[in-house]
Amino acid sequence: MMRHAADVPAGSGAPSPNGLASNANAGLSMRGVTAGYYSHDLVLNNVSLNARPGKVTVLLGPNGSGKSTALRVLYGLLRPRSGQILLDGREITTVPPQRRLALGMALLPQGRSVFPELTVQENLEIGGWLLARDRRRLAAALEGVYARYPSLKEWRQKQAGSLSGGQQRLVEIGRMMVADPRVILIDEPSVGLAPVIVDQVYEEIARLKEEQRTILLVDQNVRAAVALADYIYTLEYGRNNLEGERGAFEDRLEALIKSWLRF
Amino acid sequence: MLTTVSLSLLVQALVNGLLLGLVYTLISLGLSLTLGIMGVVNVAHSTLIMLGSYLALELLQRLGLDPIISAVIAVPVFFLIGVLLERLLISRVARTSQTTGLLVLFGVLVVIEGAAILRWTTDTQVLSVSYTNTSLTLDGIAIAVPRLIAAAIALVLVLLLDTFLRSTLYGKAIRAMSQNLDAARISGIDTDRLSLLVFGLATATAGVGGVTLAMIFPFDPQDHYRWLAWAFLVVVIGGLGSIRNTLLAGLLIGLIETLSSVLFPFQYVYFIVYLLLVVALLVRGQGLAGSQSRAL
Repeated sequence: MMRHAADVPAGSGAPSPNGLASNANAGLSMRGVTAGYYSHDLVLNNVSLNARPGKVTVLLGPNGSGKSTALRVLYGLLRPRSGQILLDGREITTVPPQRRLALGMALLPQGRSVFPELTVQENLEIGGWLLARDRRRLAAALEGVYARYPSLKEWRQKQAGSLSGGQQRLVEIGRMMVADPRVILIDEPSVGLAPVIVDQVYEEIARLKEEQRTILLVDQNVRAAVALADYIYTLEYGRNNLEGERGAFEDRLEALIKSWLRF
Repeated sequence: MLTTVSLSLLVQALVNGLLLGLVYTLISLGLSLTLGIMGVVNVAHSTLIMLGSYLALELLQRLGLDPIISAVIAVPVFFLIGVLLERLLISRVARTSQTTGLLVLFGVLVVIEGAAILRWTTDTQVLSVSYTNTSLTLDGIAIAVPRLIAAAIALVLVLLLDTFLRSTLYGKAIRAMSQNLDAARISGIDTDRLSLLVFGLATATAGVGGVTLAMIFPFDPQDHYRWLAWAFLVVVIGGLGSIRNTLLAGLLIGLIETLSSVLFPFQYVYFIVYLLLVVALLVRGQGLAGSQSRAL
């Protein structure tokens, strides 16, 4: 079923009648978030989203609709002017980004985000910053990542900035996985990558999904994202537009993309 | 003019220039760190250097402490001053524009300079210890002992800082922060706390730098602008944040200063060094911001 935002009552996800937290409370959600970078300019206007546990939730929308800003707010990089961010029902709106990893959250930002003048190994060590006090756990976490992504081990002594775009993307994913996050926010995973690499990136996201991690994916690559999605939201002009299960979207994709081209 | 310079004089200038260059590296490091990592243009840097010189003077006059010991004492003292400055001032203006920070730090400069004049007057001071006027002679080349000691202290501190940034996890985190602030934060690094550490370290190098300068040159509360210009020159030439490049640039400035003082009349030395600053800024294209592309 696909619903229009107007059909969904504001702040849906109220406690169920039996007093237990309803399904909508689990996972990561934003409720009625209004945010922007300048006082006169709202990028998000009363947006509500919910990334359900163990599912892939995809956030779509034309350029400038506020998708990336939504991720920044969800991760605490931008503080909303009003509204709440909840993780498993607990409010985390004002928790700074450096404390989100400890909550089991992680963000894979858009574009290049490796530390270019650190080696691959050092990039991973930074990913394991939270384990820094426990050298053995850090070493074990790094070994885990090397086992998961063997090519990283080959490049461990190379400067991350000397790698190709696709290789750097793998370093970024590996760096994120050192902390073994439960909830993963992904911003435009395929931007600027060669097509072969793009396929690998989506295969990796599919693996994260199989591992029952909660994923919120913002993507311009609508087809690839929808193929992975369990649930889809669309934003337009910084407001909720459509939302629904993947099945409801598949036949409407062409029309949706066409409608965005007029922006 | 040029033909009258003997070879031994040239070698002498070369040695002096390298020793001086190490001290120049030390007084520039802090500026490079705060600008490269935190984006703070610390114009008050040279007044912290000047305070370092007066710390050495006070410890010598009151307790008879050798400047070598003062250099060690300056590390925790100035680290603390830096931490306080960061916590009370920098962190509050860091989220506003760079010009605001610049004005605030210019205010700090005026206050420190004014306080120093009140406390120590504008009289020129020298550190006078047993080895002040001694020198070692090697193959006809005289090396002033205070210069040698100052350079050794500078070298030790530069190497320590370089090792810290390269080999420790904290150092790597600081470098990560300078290369991509947001990525560092999402990796769980508390960049506010690291900024405190960076500013503390930068101020500590300024303090020790002041002690070493006082071993070589006379000083007063108002001649620190020269060191500010020198430090900016080193930073512009060496780029930001990279200690090894700062070291190369510092040595270069030291050599240029001593060689030009041998080859040209004294009054040209400043002219040449300041001209170099103009040329470096022009070549860099975007001035100080242009060197920001070189991360740690």
